[in-house]
Amino acid sequence: MRSLISDTFWASLAYVVASILTFEVLMPLQNAFFPEFASRASLLFLPHGVRVLAAWLMGWRAVIALLPGVFIVFAYLGGADVFLPSRLQSIFVAVVSAPAVFHVLKVLGWDLFPRPDRAPCWACVMVAGVLSSILLSVTTNMAFGSEPSAYFAFLIGDTFGLLFLMLGLFYAFRFMRSAN
Amino acid sequence: MTEISKLAELRKLMQSMERTLRLEGLSPVERDIYYAAGELSKTEEEVRTFGLIEHTLVKDVSRPTFFRALKSLVRKGYLSQSSTANRGRYIVHAPGK
Repeated sequence: MRSLISDTFWASLAYVVASILTFEVLMPLQNAFFPEFASRASLLFLPHGVRVLAAWLMGWRAVIALLPGVFIVFAYLGGADVFLPSRLQSIFVAVVSAPAVFHVLKVLGWDLFPRPDRAPCWACVMVAGVLSSILLSVTTNMAFGSEPSAYFAFLIGDTFGLLFLMLGLFYAFRFMRSAN
Repeated sequence: MTEISKLAELRKLMQSMERTLRLEGLSPVERDIYYAAGELSKTEEEVRTFGLIEHTLVKDVSRPTFFRALKSLVRKGYLSQSSTANRGRYIVHAPGK
């Protein structure tokens, strides 16, 4: 129980921080550099990286661990609209899609979950992230009735978000190693 | 999984990324020599310089370039000189190890 509380705190905190970075720093830059890009989707959506890495590390526990963070971000962006059925559906899909993809892949014989006796494969985690993004994009955009271009923008944003988050972690670990 | 083991798994994931990036950081000749050495090491534990030079991937590379790349691979830790045999024999290492 204590471990779940700790997981929830760290995963939700990471989700909120990644969202603030995306919406308050990266999106204004995107709007400044690509003003012709009309979609509201971020082309570098870091929270997707948090979702995928949390699901990879925790499996189904990531659903509970991410829920407070995802809810806070939806409330921050949409205010009281967070309780609309379409928003609640989006929150549900946002927390469930990545763990569902990892578990479906495991059932199909491609177990990507970390194990002490084998080296993880970052490219495989990326593939799971893309599949999760497709699932998320289709279901979320269906709920909001978005244009087809939005599906593609979501996919690009999620994929680059995951890749850049992993690169960020990669350099953070390298920095810590060299600092030691 | 504890907090520490989650961090360890994340770090392992980043190491797998580093291995790919480091391999991509090799020059084309270094990469060819490393691939050739990897293939030759499947049959013998130690790879001979002569065998490497004759390998299909490497045989069009000039001698000076070959030896420069070989030296660079040793410096980067992809190959090491055999301590048991005479010079000209190398042991292949997985990148990042």
